[in-house]
Amino acid sequence: MANTSIELFGKTLKNPVMNASGTLGYGKEIEPLWPVETMGAYVTKGLSLEPHHGNPLPRIWDQQYGMINSIGLQNVGVERFFGHYFPFFRSRRIPIIVNFFGFSDDEYIRCAERIKPHELIVALEMNLSCPNVKKGGISFGKDPEMVYAIVKRVKEATSIPVIAKLTPEVKNIGEIASAAHEGGADGFTLLNTMPAAVVDVSQMRMPLRGGLSGPVMRPIALRAVFEISKAVPVPVIGAGGIMDSTDALAFLMAGAKAVQVGTATFVDPYAIPKIVEGIGEYLTRQKCANLDPIIGCTHREDSGSR
Amino acid sequence: MNDREGRIESNRMVAPGYFLMEIRLRGALTRPKPGQFIMLRIPGTEVFLRRPFGIYRYEKEKLTLMYRVVGKGTERLARAKENEPVAVLGPLGKGFHIGPRDHYIVVAGGIGIAGVHSLIETLGQKALILFGCGTKEELPIIEDLAPLKPMVSTMDGSYGLEGTVVDLLDSQLKSLKGNSEIFACGPEAMLTGLKKRIMEERIPCQVLVEERMACGLGLCFGCVRETIDETEPFKRVCKEGPVFDLWQIRL
Repeated sequence: MANTSIELFGKTLKNPVMNASGTLGYGKEIEPLWPVETMGAYVTKGLSLEPHHGNPLPRIWDQQYGMINSIGLQNVGVERFFGHYFPFFRSRRIPIIVNFFGFSDDEYIRCAERIKPHELIVALEMNLSCPNVKKGGISFGKDPEMVYAIVKRVKEATSIPVIAKLTPEVKNIGEIASAAHEGGADGFTLLNTMPAAVVDVSQMRMPLRGGLSGPVMRPIALRAVFEISKAVPVPVIGAGGIMDSTDALAFLMAGAKAVQVGTATFVDPYAIPKIVEGIGEYLTRQKCANLDPIIGCTHREDSGSR
Repeated sequence: MNDREGRIESNRMVAPGYFLMEIRLRGALTRPKPGQFIMLRIPGTEVFLRRPFGIYRYEKEKLTLMYRVVGKGTERLARAKENEPVAVLGPLGKGFHIGPRDHYIVVAGGIGIAGVHSLIETLGQKALILFGCGTKEELPIIEDLAPLKPMVSTMDGSYGLEGTVVDLLDSQLKSLKGNSEIFACGPEAMLTGLKKRIMEERIPCQVLVEERMACGLGLCFGCVRETIDETEPFKRVCKEGPVFDLWQIRL
């Protein structure tokens, strides 16, 4: 049996597969189907300083190659998460990545400060797609100066490694990644959802504006993973339309050290365990002892067209 | 719980826009409770996400669903042919709780009958069934309930009482003695009207609500309803529901 484990920020994860934030509830909900520790790490729902009720309905819409969601970051708040939900992960010894966000710089900092280091916390994942209320709603993640400043302040507020989760809604994602890296980001998750909308032609109205996810995002995320993992010397976690183990391997080959699976779970609730198994089987078939020859292998033969 | 593979045994229109689908599953579901639902997927189609459907009937690996064509998913479902493969996840959600009462009243509006059909079969003769729809053209969808003598209202007055199913309920409430409980499923306007009508008597009432869903498992928080719980007002229809106490949800 091939070794599928990876090292991430000094911790060993038994495989490189995680859920994308917000797509596996608070962890326990999937347990009637499969144990959460099937994954290398569980990524929390986006947590905020105070509980957040999210957006009105509708919140989701089916698209042919993906879905649009506007959940609006509904969550119980960082305090209740650690009081009520974290003991489950502690008792089961499940590594977690804590995704968090704020609507102002202060909220990001205070939220990060509330998360105390713990051997099971692999990293904090900053959701940088959040609108900055104080600056008129412009997303933190679209302006390199804002990205640099917020990552720097969060880094000063915590000793836990910090992952910046970037939005694809930018002209030059490399520039944003460099700014986050200069600010001190220890890694990246690429990518978040893409702003999108639905028009109901029969009713002549727009029922939903939200974030697009699913297979339609995959080529965009793959390119970002490839370019940023080549350019910036920190781990990259790939996310965007990973539906099966072939997709997951594509991200690893493009340079991702780990992958996050989101929308696929809604199409097939067993997608994650199937991906974990498929990666192991691929390694065995290819006679690879571990993931080293796979991760970033496309960097070595970069002759594709731009 | 498993994701069960199955094949469509029959898929026929029972009234304009209403379909009844029978699915033969490979392997049994955990015995569903009235009010629970399944998530259905037709593999290899343009419909990306699964769709939730109330369990109309379940017997020995045979699952029956009733649906009305309302959008892309159900349009595709209506075109599904005999023997086509499907995947079924369920039973999901919390169903109805049947406590000891003198009377059980089931109120269904239109396709809302699909959500309470298995409850009606469980309650049998103990239930007073009130069904409301637009016109008498829709009545074939309750044909199999004839032995239980459902009372009917139609909006156009083409059969039974002219008016809504809440008007029909109003006509019956005065004659009921002892303690009653209402079970309801139907369009939002029906639930709002129902709440307004029984507000004064504060009759116990459980309602089955429908919402767009992505996962059906409580993972995505895409299908919430607002409740009076001040700490966590937005409850997931798929996980904390789809059956809610009428007096707990905001309408």
